[in-house]
Amino acid sequence: MNGKKPVGLTIDGLKVQAAEGTNVLRAAEQAGVSIPHFCFHAGLDVEGSCRMCLVEIEGLPKLELACSTIIREGMVVRTSTDRVGEARKDVLEFLLAEHPLDCPICDKAGECRLQDYYDLYGLYASRMIEPRERRDKKVPIGRGLILDRERCVLCTRCVRFLRLVTGTGELGMFERSLRSEVGIYDGRPVDNNYSGNLVDICPVGAITAEDFRFKTRAWFLVRRPSVCPHCSRGCAVIIESVEGYPLRRSEKRVYRVTARENPAVNGFWICDVGRDGRHDIDDGRHAAVSEKGAPVQGLSWEKALAGVAAAIRSVPGPERAGKIAVVLNARLTCEELALAKGLFVTGLGLGKVFFADRKPGPADSLLLTSDRVPNAKGVLDAGFTPRLPALGELAGAEVLLVFGSYILEHFGEEDVARALAGVPSKYLFAAHTGPLDRLVDAVFPVAHPAEKSGTYINTEGVRQSFARAVRPCPAVVAEGAILVCLANSLGISLGDADVR
Amino acid sequence: MIKAWRVLRELVRGAAITARHFFVNMTFHTLRLFGIRTRRRGAVTIQYPEVQKALSPRHHSLHRIRPRPDGKPSCVACMLCVTVCPSECLYVEAAEDPDPEVQKLPAKFVVDLNRCCFCGFCVEACPVDAIRMDTGEIRLASLTRAGLEVPLDKP
Repeated sequence: MNGKKPVGLTIDGLKVQAAEGTNVLRAAEQAGVSIPHFCFHAGLDVEGSCRMCLVEIEGLPKLELACSTIIREGMVVRTSTDRVGEARKDVLEFLLAEHPLDCPICDKAGECRLQDYYDLYGLYASRMIEPRERRDKKVPIGRGLILDRERCVLCTRCVRFLRLVTGTGELGMFERSLRSEVGIYDGRPVDNNYSGNLVDICPVGAITAEDFRFKTRAWFLVRRPSVCPHCSRGCAVIIESVEGYPLRRSEKRVYRVTARENPAVNGFWICDVGRDGRHDIDDGRHAAVSEKGAPVQGLSWEKALAGVAAAIRSVPGPERAGKIAVVLNARLTCEELALAKGLFVTGLGLGKVFFADRKPGPADSLLLTSDRVPNAKGVLDAGFTPRLPALGELAGAEVLLVFGSYILEHFGEEDVARALAGVPSKYLFAAHTGPLDRLVDAVFPVAHPAEKSGTYINTEGVRQSFARAVRPCPAVVAEGAILVCLANSLGISLGDADVR
Repeated sequence: MIKAWRVLRELVRGAAITARHFFVNMTFHTLRLFGIRTRRRGAVTIQYPEVQKALSPRHHSLHRIRPRPDGKPSCVACMLCVTVCPSECLYVEAAEDPDPEVQKLPAKFVVDLNRCCFCGFCVEACPVDAIRMDTGEIRLASLTRAGLEVPLDKP
C-alpha cells in the first residue's frame, strides 16, 4: 500500500483494508465490489459530476458519492440496498433522458457504460413524451476524433485528461446547465500525441476515432494483451483483432490498439504512435518466402532455410569470423537475442555481428521516447554491444544475414545495393516488404512483435513478458524458430536457453 | 418362388394405391363438375414453373433491403444480423454517409446463399426493419458458388 497507513472499513458486509486516502469507489473495486460510475477515472482527478456512484454510508443521512468520499476507519458502506438501487435508476433515467439511443450506429455499443448500466440497474420504461433534444452529431475536434454532442453525458473525463495528463487543455466545457457542451476553442483543435486516449476514456460513444469508426463492432473484437514495440517505453497494450467471420474466411485484421493498465510502465495511457501501430501489424507484410524479390508459393521456410545453412557451411570454420556477417535489430525479444548470441557469437564465432535499427525520432515528456525500438536494454542485457555496420564491412562478407530492413534508414538504397552486389549469399528476415527485398537472395517472412511471445526490457529496465496477441499468416515464422532451426541444421547446441 | 410372389404382391399393392388416388380424385372432381360441393377437394397438379402458387406471407424467400424514401438503403450496418446469423452467411461493410441524420450505411451487403439456412433470424434481429425475406424469389440456383453470393446493397 505504498507505505500508506491501511484503513479498515466494511463494504457490503466485507471487511476491507485499503490505503489511507483512497476513495470508497477504489476501495470497493479492490475488494471486488463494482460501483457504477461515468466521470471517475483512476488516472484523473475526482469530479463527481455524473452522480452514478451514490452509496449508503452508515451515520450519514443522505447518499454519498463513492468517488469523492475518502475512506475512514470503521466506515460501513452499503452499495446494494434498495435506496442505492433506486438512486442509480433515477440518475440513469436523467442521463438517458436526452440520449439519442442510436446504438445501432454507435461505435461504443457493446462496450458502453450506458448500455451496461441500463441492463444492470435501469430496465425502466421511458417516461419521456417530448421529442429529444437535437445537438451536433458530427463535430470534428482534431486528430481524427469526432464528437457527438447528443451522446455526451458531460462527465468531463476528456476535458480533465487534456488538462491534467497532457497539459494541453484543448477541450473545455461551454455554456451552462441544459445547454452545456464539450467543445474546442476557436481554431485550436485537439493536437497532441495522446489524443487516442480520449476515445478510450469516454464512457459513452461521444468521442469516436475516424480510424475505427464504422469498421467493425466492439463485440466481434478479440482482445489480447501485448507490449507496444514502437519506442523503448514498451507500453502495455491490448491488441483488438478479428479473425474469420464476420470477415471473409481466412481473413484477419487488427482493428485497434488500446491502452492496458500497467502502473510500472505507462499507467493508463498510450501514445498515438503506438495506437497507429495497428497498421504496422497488418499492412505491407510478407506472406510467403520470396526469392529474388518475388514470392514463391509453396516454399516453406524450413526448406528455404536449408539453403542458408548450406551457405554458412560452405565457409570453412576459421574464415567464418570475417566472412559471415549478421545484422540484428532491437525488435528481437530477449529470448531471441539470447539464441542469436548462442548461435552467431558463441556457436559460429562470428566477429561481424551488427545492429541496425529504426532512427530515433522526437520524444515527448510523457511516454514516447526518442529510441524507436522496444528492446534496446535487452540487447545490452544479452551481452551485445550494438554497432551500426559500415557498408564496407558488409560488402566484404561471403554470407550475410539481415534481420529487419532497418539498414535502409541509415544508408541510401543505391549504396546498399552496391555493397550487397559483391556478397554471394545474402538473406533477409523481415516482417514488412521494402526495397531491400529485391537486393537479397531470399526473404523470410518473420513475425511482428504482436504475433510472437517473448520479453522486452524497457528504457527503465522493466521486464515485460508477453504472449502472442494475433495469429500470424501460416507462412510467417518468429525469428526465434528460425534461429533454433538454423542452429540445429548447423549442429550447434544452444544450451538450455529458453527457446519457447 | 416365395420371393417372386412377394415382389409381385408389392407391385400390385403399389398399382392399387395409384389407382385409389386416381379414382378418389376423379370422384371428387366429377362431383364438383356437377356442382356438388364436398368438404374435400380433388388434388390439383400445379404446372410449376409456368403456373406459380402464391406464397404464404410468412414464407422465407430471398432477402431484400428496404429502401429509404430517397432510395438509399434503410440498413444502418449495425451488424446485428451478422452477429445473430447462425450459418455465418452475411458480409457487411459499413461506410460513412455525408448526411448527419444517416451517418452509417452499408457499402457492401452480401448474403451467401451457399450457407444461408433461411432461418430469418436476421429479419428478427434488425433494429430498423431493413432486411426482410419477402421478395418471393425462390428460384435461387446458380451454376457457380460465386453466383450464390447475392449483393443486397443496391435496393
